[in-house]
Amino acid sequence: MRSRRDGAARIVVTGIGLVAPVGIGRETVWSRLLEGKDGISEVESFDASRHAAQRGGEVKHFDPSPWFRRLNPELVGRATQLAICAARQAVDDAGVLDASVEPERIGVAMGTTSGEPGRVEDFDDRYLAGELDQVGGEFVGGYPCHVIAANLAEEFDFAGPNIMIPAACAAGNYAMGYALDALRDGRSDIMLAGGADAFSRITYTGFARLGAIAPEVCQPFDKNRQGMMPGEGSAVLVLERLEDAVARGSEIYAEVGGYGLSCDAHHMTAAHPEGDGAARAMRQALEHAEADAEEVSYISAHGTGTPTNDRLETKAVRQVFGSRADRVPISSIKSMIGHTMGAASAIESAVCSLAVREGRIPPTIHFEEADPECDLDCVPNEAREIPVAVAMNNAYAFGGNNASVIFRRFEG
Amino acid sequence: MRRSSSGALKDEVIVNSTQTNGPEERVVVTGFGTICSWGEDVDQLWRHLCAGDPAYGPSSSLAEQAGDALSLQAHLQTHSAAEVSFDPRARFLGRNIRPVDRTGRLAIIAAENALESSRWTEELRGEHLVGLSLGTLFGSVQTISAFDRRGLEAGPKYVKPLDFANTVINAAAGQTAIWHGLRGTNSTVAGGSPAALQAIGQARDLLRAGRADAMLAGGAEELCFESFYGFQQAGHLATGEDPQALPFDARGTGLVLAEGAALLALETESRARERGIDARAVILGHGSAFDPSRGRKEPSAVRAVDRAVRSALADARVEPGEIDVVFAGSAGRPAADRAEALGLQSVFAERNGSGPVPVTAVKACLGESFGASGAFQTLALVLAIEHGQVPATRGLEQLPDDLVAPSLDFRRQLLDLRPRVGLVTSMGLDGNAVALVVGAPDRPVGAP
Repeated sequence: MRSRRDGAARIVVTGIGLVAPVGIGRETVWSRLLEGKDGISEVESFDASRHAAQRGGEVKHFDPSPWFRRLNPELVGRATQLAICAARQAVDDAGVLDASVEPERIGVAMGTTSGEPGRVEDFDDRYLAGELDQVGGEFVGGYPCHVIAANLAEEFDFAGPNIMIPAACAAGNYAMGYALDALRDGRSDIMLAGGADAFSRITYTGFARLGAIAPEVCQPFDKNRQGMMPGEGSAVLVLERLEDAVARGSEIYAEVGGYGLSCDAHHMTAAHPEGDGAARAMRQALEHAEADAEEVSYISAHGTGTPTNDRLETKAVRQVFGSRADRVPISSIKSMIGHTMGAASAIESAVCSLAVREGRIPPTIHFEEADPECDLDCVPNEAREIPVAVAMNNAYAFGGNNASVIFRRFEG
Repeated sequence: MRRSSSGALKDEVIVNSTQTNGPEERVVVTGFGTICSWGEDVDQLWRHLCAGDPAYGPSSSLAEQAGDALSLQAHLQTHSAAEVSFDPRARFLGRNIRPVDRTGRLAIIAAENALESSRWTEELRGEHLVGLSLGTLFGSVQTISAFDRRGLEAGPKYVKPLDFANTVINAAAGQTAIWHGLRGTNSTVAGGSPAALQAIGQARDLLRAGRADAMLAGGAEELCFESFYGFQQAGHLATGEDPQALPFDARGTGLVLAEGAALLALETESRARERGIDARAVILGHGSAFDPSRGRKEPSAVRAVDRAVRSALADARVEPGEIDVVFAGSAGRPAADRAEALGLQSVFAERNGSGPVPVTAVKACLGESFGASGAFQTLALVLAIEHGQVPATRGLEQLPDDLVAPSLDFRRQLLDLRPRVGLVTSMGLDGNAVALVVGAPDRPVGAP
């Protein structure tokens, strides 16, 4: 792995855009996460009356139009709407459009779980209504998930490398890793990296059938946790080489240290019983970032709130961190925004970037009773102020895909 | 026994090869596997390509797959497609394939063949991290759509958890990893026809970074009523009584859809040498660019192809004059084919007296298999390197006047030529242009 030791370029985060069930905009989302605000509400985007659980992390009162300049927001799917909202913020935040960088040197790497499921849901509604004749070009034109990355590039006229990585719930971290390599290899000068997913009846139905959805609240690491909470949202980060960021006087949130990827090759929907794959991804990320486990002062957990995930994640963290595991705060913002699928690890990458810059860690809310099988410091209920030199962002996905990314406090 | 076809220069290559494990190390192809409408035999695939046979014809199961044959049949204007037929029970004898959908099965079969051909045995896979990077368009839109419809019709309690696992777009890659014990980096790249080229490029980079001991890279795509009908309604399908895929040809009316999977087995040159397995080709470089007009403005589309190719050539440290052949992605959509041809013209105008570069489009035979198609193109180039022949573009008769260029030789007949360096290109439906440079294993490192 090319790391700083080998003379590889240092890569930094210079822009952040966020849209999540707790709010819209970087500052709004960040402050509400620190307040411990619960963004979970009754599902309104489809009829959930036939489901036992009926709550989720929807982005309510979302008007996409202010974020769009070129594309027509009504002609794109909701995941694209969320992604362009986040991307517009990030691009403005980093001053990308004023940066006199050729559009051909600006690339896009995005992750997702479901792409634009609304398009296939429309198809299915027509199929069942006997109205297949009304299916037009919008189905194959708007459904394939790569349209999210393509729509971003078209909206901003970015003509550099463009990739969509649908690595399910670890996809945001895959996109961070891809962007890091693209910048280090000189394939582009600026990368937009992130993830987006829209609330979907398909995803909700699936998790409901697995019995995985919590009825009321999402309580990661709590002894009485009852499951995950489907959500939606997007985060986009602007990444660039340190020398370029310094040259144009950009504000720097964090340095992207490195990343690790692994595959359980064990089960489609269940993690390895010892957390082996997750541990390999964490170790690889630490190695790539030339970071020592002792340096890590915050872990953004995958922390879905299902009984199994949180137990196995605890095991995996212990495998990698040993006794240090007792002293590293590890929180799950999914307690507040639910599991935003392919956007989750992108949103958590934004959170890690803000945590290392500000020395503040968002809490795991709804924590009531400790679980001996999840005996880590999960930052219960209250945000914490603590210097964070190195943050680790963990994500695990269907298909046994694991991805960890390291963010470092930028110290010049 | 080691294969001898890689030639006398092999020792020189090894001596010249750069440091082990690093940004400069060569990544080689040590095997490949496939399944398409012609079956799983790569030699047979090659014979058909050289003979200019169509892989497509009337499909028997497009409507049946959706489970409502009669009423859906009426919606289809054509049934022409390249359909894979295999008996899952016989093919996966003794193992439970039921949890895996059609896309996953195609990927698993191609992976099995690629692992066998590259001699990554089960035992070796236990000791080493073999990964997978898989290109796709939709994942399995049939799985996703059927899951949703069942939830609506029968009620959410009656959907199957196993089906839900397959609704994620990376399901085929995950299922393949589980089936074959592939514990290395597992990635899915979405983007339609250029996706497999992006996946191969990603795998090359991950190997150089030491993130896996070997990677299978390519793509898989299934044919199903949902996607076929969607493409028909969008006006992308070839029309007429007997629809034909006619790349670069003025008579082209659209795509003929295909299903299948193709995967290359990749590893670093030093590991291949350690394992005593011959390199069959070298992945020299890759590059990509985006056309923000998404094909609506021809100059912008042409520039994207031009930039993708130049970026791949720069990555490979190869000059345009060194390219012996182009395996183009053109599939019979006139506007997209034009953009690709004009992009190639713009790059190869700088041949400096090397003569016109032969250009061929294998989708004339194979049809458009989206996520898999870039891998089929790359496989065809590797086979051209091995067999010393370049297949013609089947059916090419009427090349538009403005595509005629002194730098390009659009092949209408089979050519006896053993390429030393070849280029693979693809332009997606949504503006993504990707290029890959592949070399013969006996081309000396850094050779002009």
